[in-house]
Amino acid sequence: MERDLRLDFFRGLALFFIFIDHIPNNPLAQFTLQSVAFSDAAEVFILISGYTAGMVYGRAMERQGPLVAGVRVYHRVWQLYVAHVFLFTLFMAMMAYTVGALNSSLYAEEFRAADFLKEPGVAVVKALTLQFQPAFMDILPLYIALLMGLPFALVGFRRWPGAVGLASSALWLVVQLDKMIELPAYPGPNQVWFFNPFAWQALFFLGAWLGWRGTKDGVAWVANRWLFRFAAALALAGFLIRFSWTLHGLYDPIPALFPKALWPLLSKKNLGPLRFANALALALLVAHLIPPQGRSMTAAAARPFVLCGRHSLHIFCLGILLSVVGHLVINEFFGRAPMQLAVSAAGGAIMTSVAALMDWFAAAQAPPGLRAQRAAATGGGA
Amino acid sequence: MAGSFLRLAVGIFAAAGIWLLSAPAAAPAQPQDCDVAESFYSFEPTLPNTIRALASGREVIIAAIGGASTRGGTWGSPELAWPARLAAALVERVPAARVKVVNLGVARQTSGEMAARFVREVPALKPALVIWETGTMEAVRNTDLGEFRETVQAGLGRLRAAGPEVVLMDMQFSRVTHAVINIDRYVNILREVADANDVPLFPRHDIMRYWAENGILDLRTPDREKRRQLAVRLHECIGREMADFIVRGAHPSRPAPGRRR
Repeated sequence: MERDLRLDFFRGLALFFIFIDHIPNNPLAQFTLQSVAFSDAAEVFILISGYTAGMVYGRAMERQGPLVAGVRVYHRVWQLYVAHVFLFTLFMAMMAYTVGALNSSLYAEEFRAADFLKEPGVAVVKALTLQFQPAFMDILPLYIALLMGLPFALVGFRRWPGAVGLASSALWLVVQLDKMIELPAYPGPNQVWFFNPFAWQALFFLGAWLGWRGTKDGVAWVANRWLFRFAAALALAGFLIRFSWTLHGLYDPIPALFPKALWPLLSKKNLGPLRFANALALALLVAHLIPPQGRSMTAAAARPFVLCGRHSLHIFCLGILLSVVGHLVINEFFGRAPMQLAVSAAGGAIMTSVAALMDWFAAAQAPPGLRAQRAAATGGGA
Repeated sequence: MAGSFLRLAVGIFAAAGIWLLSAPAAAPAQPQDCDVAESFYSFEPTLPNTIRALASGREVIIAAIGGASTRGGTWGSPELAWPARLAAALVERVPAARVKVVNLGVARQTSGEMAARFVREVPALKPALVIWETGTMEAVRNTDLGEFRETVQAGLGRLRAAGPEVVLMDMQFSRVTHAVINIDRYVNILREVADANDVPLFPRHDIMRYWAENGILDLRTPDREKRRQLAVRLHECIGREMADFIVRGAHPSRPAPGRRR
């Protein structure tokens, strides 16, 4: 089975966006998905991760049975957890640097809002239980929680696909109506998970179902022309409205189209209806307009994204590490826009180089006959 | 394919690195004044009622609600914090004015906690203007963005229902904390809410960044005594800048009111 390069490409693109958005005041952040659509890199990442997971582990379930597939999923969960702990270590190291720099500084008083500084031991435990989610450490816990539910969903897809779909969408809907359904987090009494898994599961499992069906006969209605037109209209409307906000932010006299009315539908925590719909519409457009092995996906310009998307967990962690290093560089040299662009470019180049290195290494290790097989099997990377 | 691409990528990276290292370290001129161009907030709505009240010579009450960076006092008396400096700077600009700035800053409060205080503390003061500085706690804790937006929106509604004009003020700029706190997205939310409600936003974050990047204020000084002086100067500058922000539009025929020392 030929590898679907679109999955790699768009996941890689999402990783680039996440990296760029994580560099503060980065002028490039004006050009990422969040400026032109209601959804952002988080939706792309979760949807594609759901799709590939459904595809890879769904296939494993068909071949090796649900038990083996389940163990494989939990092995992946373990890898994600280790990555999360690695990022937390990085965060703590950065905190140590920051506190040193901040000690009795201008911001010391404000920074004491960071309750975890008072009880670092508790923070470590809460990070291990996924409840401590400081900035830049909020999406892996979501992914871990969702993947833990995947084996059950896969079994459900085979036996009662309608019931699973209904339950998943019903849960999403209930979360939209009752804002109190969420997971408690740390610190503070009112802190909750930055991404509510009860809402985001709908996107992930929809992706997983599509991926699972894609290994068999596909889903007929995805090709429906009217659905395509509807998705195109939705994406266009999303673009016009969201881009008007971006332009308004850059130059005030350009009016922003009804922002206040749409805010309630744009919750990031609860995957608001507009974010959900916009993400699905974009996915449908891509599925229609870009062939899996088309020239646009094999072009040299697409190569960095395909490579990064193929090794997404490693590149995601590397991206976080690089954005932290980028902070330090910008901080030490007091860089302005050109420096931020340079840091972004260097970071993108490093991410791509490491991904290319990993690709080369994996290919060099695999015996010739296994290469094609391996290429298909690693599709389940993060 | 992968090999040649790898070479290309390494080449690009090396080039970027060389450019990065050869870029001159920032060595900007050192202007004495901390003025900023009015283009920082030229599109923000003005405060006609407050301006009128100031010019009338009646006593004008301004309430400043916020966190530690409003309360001040860490580096000296509250007299050195920006609300007190604002009062002095306003009288400089509008000699007829009788201004009293009440500092309601309390360290480490969330937007919700501040909003709850509006009801108790603000109406009794009968202020002409309320300046609400917020967002730091939410950014530090990585709180839900939608909830932050709703809280600020509800708080603004409550404040304005009580009658005064309102100014929103965003977070302090600090390059160091950026690495562990994603401040930008909370600044953006404040900007959006202010904009949608036609409430002026005082862009403290951008202004401080401008000062830092142009060497007007060295926000990174390691020396303790220098840092104390910096805090004093920063609050003085914020107070002066806020005064310019408030009286802007008062004399359309003249340029910005006299501010050069």
